[in-house]
Amino acid sequence: MAGIGGTGVAAHHASINFTKGLHLDDAGPRKIKSMRFSTMSSEEVTKTAEVQIFEHSLYQLPERKPLPYGVLDTRLGTSNKKGQCTTCDGKLADCPGHFGYIKLELPVFHIGYFKDIIVILQCICKASFSLLEVVASQEERQKWQRRMQNPRSEILRKKEYLKKINDLCKKVRACPRCGDINGVVKKLGSTLKIIHDKYAKNYEAFEEMAHKFDDAVKVNKEMKGYMKNIQEDLTPLKVLGLFEKIIGEDCVVLDLVDRPEQLIVQHMPVPPVAIRPSVEMDAAVGSNEDDVTIKLMHIIEQNNQIRACLESGLSIAKCMEIWDFLQIQVAMYINSELPGLPPNMQTGKPLRGFVQRLKGKQGRFRGNLSGKRVDFTGRTVISPDPNLKVSEVAVPILMAQTLTYPEKVSAHNIEKLRQRVINGKEKHPGANFVVFPDGVKRFLKFGDRKRIASELKYGDVVERHLEDGDIVLFNRQPSLHRMSIMCHRARVMPWRTLRFNESVCNPYNADFDGDEMNMHVPQTEEARTEALTLMGVQNNLCTPKNGEILVASTQDFLTSSFLITRRDTFYDRGQFALMCSYMGDAVEHIDLPTPAILKPVELWTGKQLFGVLIRPSARIKVFLNFVVCEKNHKKGTETMCPKDGYVFFKNSELICGQLGKGTLGNGSKDGLFTVLLRDYGEQAAASCMNRLAKLSARWIGNHGFSIGIDDVQPGSRLTVEKEKRIAEGYRACDKHISLFNKGQLTLQPGCDAAQTLESEITGELNKIREAAGQVCVNELHWRNSPLIMSQCGSKGSVINISQMIACVGQQSVSGHRAPNGFIERSLPHFPRNDKTPQAKGFVANSFYSGLTATEFIFHTMGGREGLVDTAVKTAETGYMSRRLMKALEDLSCQYDGTVRNSSGVIVQLIYGDDSMDPVSMEGQNGTPLNLDRVLMKAKATCPRGTTPALPPSELWKIVESKFSQDGSECSTAFLDSLRKFLRKEFDTISSTRKRLSLPLDDFGNVDDENVAANVSGLTSRQLEVFLNTCIGRYHRKKLDPGTAVGAIGAQSIGEPGTQMTLKTFHFAGVASMNITLGVPRIKEIINASKKISTPIITAKLVSENDVKAARIVKGRIEKTALGDVAKSIKIVLRPGQAFVSIKLDMDRIYSLQLDIRAETVAEAVLKFPKIKSMKLKEQHVKVNDDRSISLTTPESDRKKMLFALHSLQNMLPKVIVKGIPTVERAVINQEKGKYNLLVEGTNLKAVMGTEGVDGRETTSNHIFETVEVLGIEAARNGIIKEIQYTMGSHGMSIDQRHMMLLADVMTYRGEILGITRFGMAKMKDSVLMLASFEKTTDHLFAASVHGRTDQIEGVSECIIMGIPMPLGTGLFKVRQKVGRIPKLIYGPPPLFS
Amino acid sequence: MADDDYNDFDGGGEDYDEPVEPEEEVEEQENNEEAPEFGGDGEFQEAESEQVSDKPRKTTKYMTKYERARVLGTRALQISMNAPVMVELEGETDPLEIAMKELRERKIPFTIRRYLPDGSYEDWGVDELIVEDSWKRQVGN
Repeated sequence: MAGIGGTGVAAHHASINFTKGLHLDDAGPRKIKSMRFSTMSSEEVTKTAEVQIFEHSLYQLPERKPLPYGVLDTRLGTSNKKGQCTTCDGKLADCPGHFGYIKLELPVFHIGYFKDIIVILQCICKASFSLLEVVASQEERQKWQRRMQNPRSEILRKKEYLKKINDLCKKVRACPRCGDINGVVKKLGSTLKIIHDKYAKNYEAFEEMAHKFDDAVKVNKEMKGYMKNIQEDLTPLKVLGLFEKIIGEDCVVLDLVDRPEQLIVQHMPVPPVAIRPSVEMDAAVGSNEDDVTIKLMHIIEQNNQIRACLESGLSIAKCMEIWDFLQIQVAMYINSELPGLPPNMQTGKPLRGFVQRLKGKQGRFRGNLSGKRVDFTGRTVISPDPNLKVSEVAVPILMAQTLTYPEKVSAHNIEKLRQRVINGKEKHPGANFVVFPDGVKRFLKFGDRKRIASELKYGDVVERHLEDGDIVLFNRQPSLHRMSIMCHRARVMPWRTLRFNESVCNPYNADFDGDEMNMHVPQTEEARTEALTLMGVQNNLCTPKNGEILVASTQDFLTSSFLITRRDTFYDRGQFALMCSYMGDAVEHIDLPTPAILKPVELWTGKQLFGVLIRPSARIKVFLNFVVCEKNHKKGTETMCPKDGYVFFKNSELICGQLGKGTLGNGSKDGLFTVLLRDYGEQAAASCMNRLAKLSARWIGNHGFSIGIDDVQPGSRLTVEKEKRIAEGYRACDKHISLFNKGQLTLQPGCDAAQTLESEITGELNKIREAAGQVCVNELHWRNSPLIMSQCGSKGSVINISQMIACVGQQSVSGHRAPNGFIERSLPHFPRNDKTPQAKGFVANSFYSGLTATEFIFHTMGGREGLVDTAVKTAETGYMSRRLMKALEDLSCQYDGTVRNSSGVIVQLIYGDDSMDPVSMEGQNGTPLNLDRVLMKAKATCPRGTTPALPPSELWKIVESKFSQDGSECSTAFLDSLRKFLRKEFDTISSTRKRLSLPLDDFGNVDDENVAANVSGLTSRQLEVFLNTCIGRYHRKKLDPGTAVGAIGAQSIGEPGTQMTLKTFHFAGVASMNITLGVPRIKEIINASKKISTPIITAKLVSENDVKAARIVKGRIEKTALGDVAKSIKIVLRPGQAFVSIKLDMDRIYSLQLDIRAETVAEAVLKFPKIKSMKLKEQHVKVNDDRSISLTTPESDRKKMLFALHSLQNMLPKVIVKGIPTVERAVINQEKGKYNLLVEGTNLKAVMGTEGVDGRETTSNHIFETVEVLGIEAARNGIIKEIQYTMGSHGMSIDQRHMMLLADVMTYRGEILGITRFGMAKMKDSVLMLASFEKTTDHLFAASVHGRTDQIEGVSECIIMGIPMPLGTGLFKVRQKVGRIPKLIYGPPPLFS
Repeated sequence: MADDDYNDFDGGGEDYDEPVEPEEEVEEQENNEEAPEFGGDGEFQEAESEQVSDKPRKTTKYMTKYERARVLGTRALQISMNAPVMVELEGETDPLEIAMKELRERKIPFTIRRYLPDGSYEDWGVDELIVEDSWKRQVGN
């Protein structure tokens, strides 16, 4: 049986009462350091057991008491509230349960160790019980022994050794020691029998054996026919005998820690009743027993039968049958899902064996150990409340009265807690229990609460209701990233929903269409603190995926900000003051700005309101400086943008721009909130968000904003325009179709006519929808609600508007137009082979005008695909995320800056090459800072005034002195980027100065200096501030040691996976060059698939600017069959000679610029595998001249010769004379005026070696091929590049550091390891971790056979064992500082002073 | 050996409950003049501090957010259990708030023992580390 050693519970004997108690050292609480897996011997089983079980019935009837020596014996504990354990006299709650045992009359195989048993049998001699191969020489054996026992050899290595030994032994024919024959040992079919096929390949032995049966054959003639099937049956009994005699050294070589006979079941432990509760039903019905109990009953029954059989001497056949049955019962007891059980053994519903209890999502490992059910949680529907702060959550009173926090009474809170106790359970700020230090718990619903309150002492614990400001964790499933569970402060409110500020919808991915969310209340002061400081909303405004802001304004907030900041909005004093007061809760001091218009009336612009919003009063020193382009910004117009899309803040004043999603929304790196967060901290950003939420909710409530049918009614002009566009598009399509029908279509590269037509038509139809959308945007009134929403980015896009008003557009199914579901047509409403837009799913109507019947069907087709896609995708990405998480969970950054896994193996020397935290990256490509903005802010906050701007040479001096002073701790890459930026900046200064003819290293004319400074110039103060900010912030952005980098990386890659939609994607520019993208591609990369669906090699050409050269190389790479370049392949029969003659079409070869000559063809023919098998040799191929070859056959037989020639003739056209066979095709691709080749197919080495290809810069997207050809580092780069490319093509940006980490994990062992169960087994040693991932029981059984030890240091193991893990706050220790240490005098005190 | 003893005594391993009681004990002992208890270790402590000063400490001089969270949490727990507060209170009652105030004024009597992957460690006093004042930075309110 699989026993888990190390943590065994010692049986407690309470039978004897000693007058003097046994002295036991109480060592206090202990920590489980490691866990060893082993097998249990029969002695151990009987020792740990309380009683032998041999009765097969459960109860004594009629009184229905558990039968002694039955499976439910009371000595095994009780599962009944009334019952009592007779071993320890404990009740249900106290008795831990005790084991019993069953003594099997005949041994059986343990199903979990079956494979290991076979392996051992294969390795030993069945006659002399010693190892086969290794015994050959003593040295050999010792060598293996040393290898196995080497403490440094990893588990993986040991597995390899065992495999090797096993392979060696399997090859041995005869035992080197005793000379006995060694046959194949294998499992017999699907039964649980092992046979030794001793006589199959050894005739002598067979004869010898057959000779013994001579007499029997004489009597029974039929027997002769079966003689050749004779094999040795290795019954458990026989195997046991063999195993008992294996010597210890051999066990070591076989990587066994315990005796091998323990792999065979002789004594079976009977688990305590507590784990297989028996539920009593009504008296008439009896009881409901656990599957394990039932199985145990069966086993005992069979066992008793065997005993009876053996004792009474029944027929051997009968006995064997029962034994087989017992074998199967014992196997089913452990694993009830045995494949290929004989049908007579299968009972109705499968019972749950132990394997089933552990396995799977609901199993013990994943369902109860890695994730546990917890108390102090709540769940209801969520709803929005913009009046709450971003960091708050409104908790219904009802919930607050149930969820409690145990607050310890101290001097600070005793009065408050007294009041709580008096209020009791029913009144809200009350308490449910008081727990006294002696452990007594008082319920506060009854009893004299006033007295309890007055008697409250320091140290008592009051389980008080949740109150305002309490710390709770808030979560929504699916928890895809760490922002899916954040810490909020509770606000107890009436009604029944959990409410929060809409700005926090994004991280949770929540909406209010009926979503429910969960709440947890941390129960200790430490937990609350950690929750608040690490998981607080304010500390998680940004996503570690790429540093973009996630908590930001959404929907209505964007709409109202957009409307308020419109160019022509003016407010008078009353309106403006009212709007200012919307922002706060009448607690903030607000300074009104100077009105924009003073006469005839004072008027303020809406833009000024945002100045107030960011900096309500002059006391608040927030100076915001940034520039953002909204999406409607017209390039190059900047502040003069006609759509007012250029948002420009200077010193917290909105100079220009209408605010929209780009400025206020999520997913941007230089929006308002991001800048606030980076420059002034999370508090500033959060409070600004609060103000904006309140302002916009209240403002839009008064202003009103809604959408109605008139918003989607097209005007007459719009209708006309739309009709015109559609007619145009149709005409264009018709033209293409008619061209196609005539066969005159100019083909696109790499496409046939039908494909070209499809792509042309699709292009045209897409244009129609675009055009219709554009018409809508142009024609709609500026007050149109959908238009406003799409402009500000709060909801909907131009396409959505166009679909509602003008035209729904082309429906697609798997990337193509509607497929032909009927014969040669999509629907029976259309003529056959109709390629017109209408017949292939183009919906010309709008949702407003209504769809026709056929359009409707097409629309549902597209819609269904979307639904199916989402359903499939969620399952797939979920599994991907789980695998990523399991593979990366234990990686963390250590105090020395390295990234290591839990066993201390270095994965990265510096995290992401610069040890920067991706959460706080401000630059666009994951660079630490947006230098432009920092400089802009420095300039704006330190106005020049009258101080002169410095000439570049002076500036450089400041920079270099600063760098030498403070820059020593910065990475050189960062300093270089700073230098590069400043050089550019100083160059503009120089050029300005040059134009004004000022000296570059000295001051010039004061007036000119002033001009230059105003155009572009830096004062020393500005430069200093800039440099200080840069260097200061750089240090704050370093990754904190302890960060669980792996987990964050896994989430950052897994979460975007769920958002990916399209399955495949077209290569930009090159038609029909499909490459797999999206989830399937990510899966391929992560799994390290050996075979990927679209391998593509990108080959750089030696001469990049020449198309002709590119064509030549293309010809060299693409495979050319002989049939394509031969003028004729004929059989020539002449007297005396018969041959196949090949004439090459040299004109064609020249025109294609292929390098094919008769010699090369001859070589290729000889290398062609099928021709090679015809034994064609060099002498059979004769090159006549440049263009003709003749082939004879080695066949000399005249009759066969003709056939040979014919088959040769048939095969010859397929001979590949030029190119790489594994390449499908090559496409010439033009990129920025340079040509390169995209080769579809594999064999990177051959492509690199092709003449004309620059091998140094030729890459493949096939990771596995990259390792083989270019090595592991190249593969690492390939993984990074490919993931980035795939994500990028779906418009998702992920910090490169995450990809680097993933790639490093996949490559750090020196070979590519996929994030699959196979790769994972090679990465991790921990049994518990692997068991909690996949193949739970396989890992456990293997661990116990080989006696593995789990060090319990990784994340999974620690969670399973309930131990804090060495990550984050567990990486270090906090110790009380001992103030002064008393001065001590050592040695004995002086006798005389 | 003394090292081990000391570790065990001062609540080495456990993260959750141990810092509570032993540390309280420490304070009591200080007050109750149970000097001999510390005697054996006093010598060691000196040696240790020498060792630390000999080798320059290499880890970051900034307090990581994890250290901050743990220090605040442990301190808040102590305060919630009636530990003497090291700062002047201005009406705060929440232990966490008090702990934050103490941290801001660098009055938390803890040392952080940072373990390096090779098993060695560096001791940093909470008052030596630079704490990012994330709650009220540069904002006037």
